[in-house]
Amino acid sequence: MIHYETGGLDYRTARACHECDLLQYIPILRNREVARCQRCKALLKKRHVESLDRSQALAVTGLILFAVANMFPLISLKALGVSQHGTLLSATLALFDAEMPFLGILMLFTTILFPLFSLCGTIYILTSIRINHYSHWIAPMFRFLRSTDTWGMLEIFLLALIVAAVKLVDITEVKVGVSLYAFSLLIGTLTTLNLTLNPEDVCDHLRKHAK
Amino acid sequence: MITAREAGLVACDFCHSLNRPSIDESDNTTLLQMHCHVCGSVIYSRIPDSLSKTWALVIASLILYIPANVLPIMTVVLWGDGSPENIMSGVLSLLDAGMWPLALLIFVASIVIPIAKLLTMLGLLISVQLRSKWRPIERTQLYRITEFIGRWSMIDIFVIGILVALVQFGTVATVTPGMGAICFAIVVILTMIAAHSFDPRLIWDVMEEPTRE
Repeated sequence: MIHYETGGLDYRTARACHECDLLQYIPILRNREVARCQRCKALLKKRHVESLDRSQALAVTGLILFAVANMFPLISLKALGVSQHGTLLSATLALFDAEMPFLGILMLFTTILFPLFSLCGTIYILTSIRINHYSHWIAPMFRFLRSTDTWGMLEIFLLALIVAAVKLVDITEVKVGVSLYAFSLLIGTLTTLNLTLNPEDVCDHLRKHAK
Repeated sequence: MITAREAGLVACDFCHSLNRPSIDESDNTTLLQMHCHVCGSVIYSRIPDSLSKTWALVIASLILYIPANVLPIMTVVLWGDGSPENIMSGVLSLLDAGMWPLALLIFVASIVIPIAKLLTMLGLLISVQLRSKWRPIERTQLYRITEFIGRWSMIDIFVIGILVALVQFGTVATVTPGMGAICFAIVVILTMIAAHSFDPRLIWDVMEEPTRE
């Protein structure tokens, strides 16, 4: 009998808050409106017009910037006539060389693999939706991307780069590399992508195909 | 006002579709693993063993937090003189060099955030175990902030990585990472997983009890 006590809500259109489990209806949202839980104020839904198209453009931009950011040094040091160039990958390699494989792997995943996979996966998923192609890979892949979202830490890396540069500026000559501009733009692009991509729109696509 | 669990529904954490499990939910122990009918994700009404998992992770990070602060995170060798640095001495040396904004940044990211995060997680765990009904909205917000902010503690690890990569001038100056860095990195990772394994719905479950009479 417990099954019928849904408080007059139709469970096919109602939504349970992911933070407090309260069942509620979400009103139809206008552009840039957000819906919050009535009880705990968690963000339940947002709406952006053309969220998927814009995200796809941003993801492609991000992938190009990511390639550029990896190609050239982010920062260069000059001391006693010797130059040292630091690329995104060199921090990972240096930690492996210093016999700290754990930190090296951590660095590799958080600054290279997760961001790269996130960009490629987003492009794949959004392209599939655009050409109305459905594959069994989309749901698990999108789930993986969502769950590893917090582990891509490029913006933290940029802040760390600034800290390291300021620490070194007294001792040596620090020069900004070409890739640093691409890297900064990449972080801007990724942040915008995160705000623009509405996971709900991807899930709507999944729901459409599940029926 | 009714929750999905009271209605006998299980929401998918990933695509938010509501599922109606065919097995009677009142018998929780025999519940088999369920999958969302839309996206195929494993679904559950509450994260299984959320409290014990979170406790284990929080206690492990509390223990590792000690070596993370005591052991050197890196050793800077200048003209043959090595000076091991731990987290606090790194902050102090930045302060001595007059770079107080950076000292503040590292202090907040490496000391304030991990401690605040561990205390918040402990507070949340204890409040849920005591079935507290105290300020659920604020506690949920606290959880949300904790989950969001924890990753920024990683900044110190990245600074070490960058310094190790850049400062390699043979006998003149080198930087090598220390064991403290590994411990600190593990603390950050474990607290991030702990925040993730804590189910905020547990804060709200006790709120339903009187109305269930």
